Amino acid sequence: MAEVLLRVEKLSKTYANGVQALKNVDLEVQQGEFLVIIGLSGSGKSTLLRCLNRLQEPTSGNIFFQGQDVSQMQDVRDIREVRRQMAMIFQHFNLIPRQSVLKNVMMGRLADKTLWQSFWGIFSAEEKRQALDNLRLVGIAEKAPVRADQLSGGQKQRVAIARALTQKPTLLLADEPVSSLDPATCHVVMDYLRKINQELGITVIANLHFLSLVRKYATRVVALKDGEIVFRGRPDEITEEWFRRIYGEGAQDVAPNDL
Amino acid sequence: MLRRTIFDGVLFGFLLSVLTAAVLAPTEEQLLQLGIVSVWILIFFALGCVLSGALTRLRVNTLGAVLFGPLAAAEPEDRAWYRLFWKWQLLVALLAAFVVAVVKTEFSFIELFDQHGFAGAVRLFKGLLNPNWEVLPRAVLNIVETIFMAFLATSLAIPLAFVLSFVCAKNIMQGPVARVVYFVLRTFLNVTRSIEALIWAIIFSVWVGIGPFAGMLALMIHSVASLAKQYSEMVESVEEGPIEAIESTGANKLQTIWYAIVPQVLLPYISFTVYRWDINVRMATIIGLVGGGGIGTMLVQYQGQAMWREVGCIIAVIAVVVWALDQASAHIREALK
Repeated sequence: MAEVLLRVEKLSKTYANGVQALKNVDLEVQQGEFLVIIGLSGSGKSTLLRCLNRLQEPTSGNIFFQGQDVSQMQDVRDIREVRRQMAMIFQHFNLIPRQSVLKNVMMGRLADKTLWQSFWGIFSAEEKRQALDNLRLVGIAEKAPVRADQLSGGQKQRVAIARALTQKPTLLLADEPVSSLDPATCHVVMDYLRKINQELGITVIANLHFLSLVRKYATRVVALKDGEIVFRGRPDEITEEWFRRIYGEGAQDVAPNDL
Repeated sequence: MLRRTIFDGVLFGFLLSVLTAAVLAPTEEQLLQLGIVSVWILIFFALGCVLSGALTRLRVNTLGAVLFGPLAAAEPEDRAWYRLFWKWQLLVALLAAFVVAVVKTEFSFIELFDQHGFAGAVRLFKGLLNPNWEVLPRAVLNIVETIFMAFLATSLAIPLAFVLSFVCAKNIMQGPVARVVYFVLRTFLNVTRSIEALIWAIIFSVWVGIGPFAGMLALMIHSVASLAKQYSEMVESVEEGPIEAIESTGANKLQTIWYAIVPQVLLPYISFTVYRWDINVRMATIIGLVGGGGIGTMLVQYQGQAMWREVGCIIAVIAVVVWALDQASAHIREALK
């Protein structure tokens, strides 16, 4: 049995407008897993990921990450260290436009920078080499000097993965990483996520929509519905019946299996 | 409902005041008694509000009801305009305002075409259109002073406005203490901006003495307030995504601003700043009129002596420079988009 990397206990999140995004979510993530969270838009998937690294403040509950209770942390320096270890990628990539790809990737090192260094954009040769290595890992090293806004969607997401890797994370949170990509690019990005999961041993938690992708890449699946976990299991355990229960009656998988 | 009543109250109150003034024809002495006049006006306003309410009760649509709602009665589609109350209300109010304005500005065709006055205007234009180029070197020297006055004012305003723009942006100032700071600074800047640069120039010409330094300070204060507002609006409209991304790397607040927000707002900042410099050059000539130095001060000196040919030369110089800067800044801003 692998080591438990993350344990979420009775996590709830209620927004200021009264919307209950998460209700008593319990979750355990083992070291090295590729966990996929599925569920309708608005089911609380994104909120869950953002509570883990405290981009959102949980209303109640506990989050244990490598033995530390993230949800109780008061010191912003501790929270920042947790964020560094839980890198995150996003649906809309969230690169900094008008900056070079290399610079975007090196921003993964900001947590260790002094104010002076970050003000002048001082990065060491070693950090530059690491950034290039990570770009090479996602097969896009030749784009290093190009401006980030000139890349295609798939390339942007790969740069975002490289930026995440530069943080030297133990866990990668992927919030709908392929939702704004075309089907072909989708697989390229997912393949890279699997590569860093299997070769670098970085645990991945990803929000996904397409069942075909879930079956292909996930080692374990959790389904959220209205802020509650309604399914836990292996990807091949999601039957048609479960699928309808998660996504509502009459739902059909939008992505065909030949995707 | 409230807005309708106030709007109608003001309109009807205004009409009642005009009528009363026309009938009673008060002397200026009487009009200067602010206390009594305000009581009258308040009474008229109250009557207007009552009238608005009464009309609504009678299911007549007033202008206020049409503007702000709710309608007192459904508006028939095919009714001619002269059978609608609110259109009459608008027409009468505009007419009354026009009449009052004509009386107040002492509008007079007689003065406009008075032979003596007209001859003066002709003399003036003759001077202006036939400039005395002998003062050109001095005019050029002075407009250079004006341009640099505007340049220094803009440059000194940039760092201040830059810092203020983040402290005055709602999306950055979250949390109770930050909100108080945000509110106080916003109010302070709004007040500062609502005071014209001309007024600041008068204040500073007393403070540091008449001359370009006073004019520069006046322009700077005004520029800080204006730029800070424009900059902070840019900060408020940046994309949230990159901010979230930089935060998730473990960066602190200042790093997040520097890496996620600044790259997004830099170009619009430069664009606003170039435009502000352009505005400042134009304003600097005006400010010179009240002793802010530069070409404006020179202009007012010759104008005081009715030396129209020299004034013509100065105006020509100003026109050329303002036009050139206007073009230049428009091209630069276009290129920055």
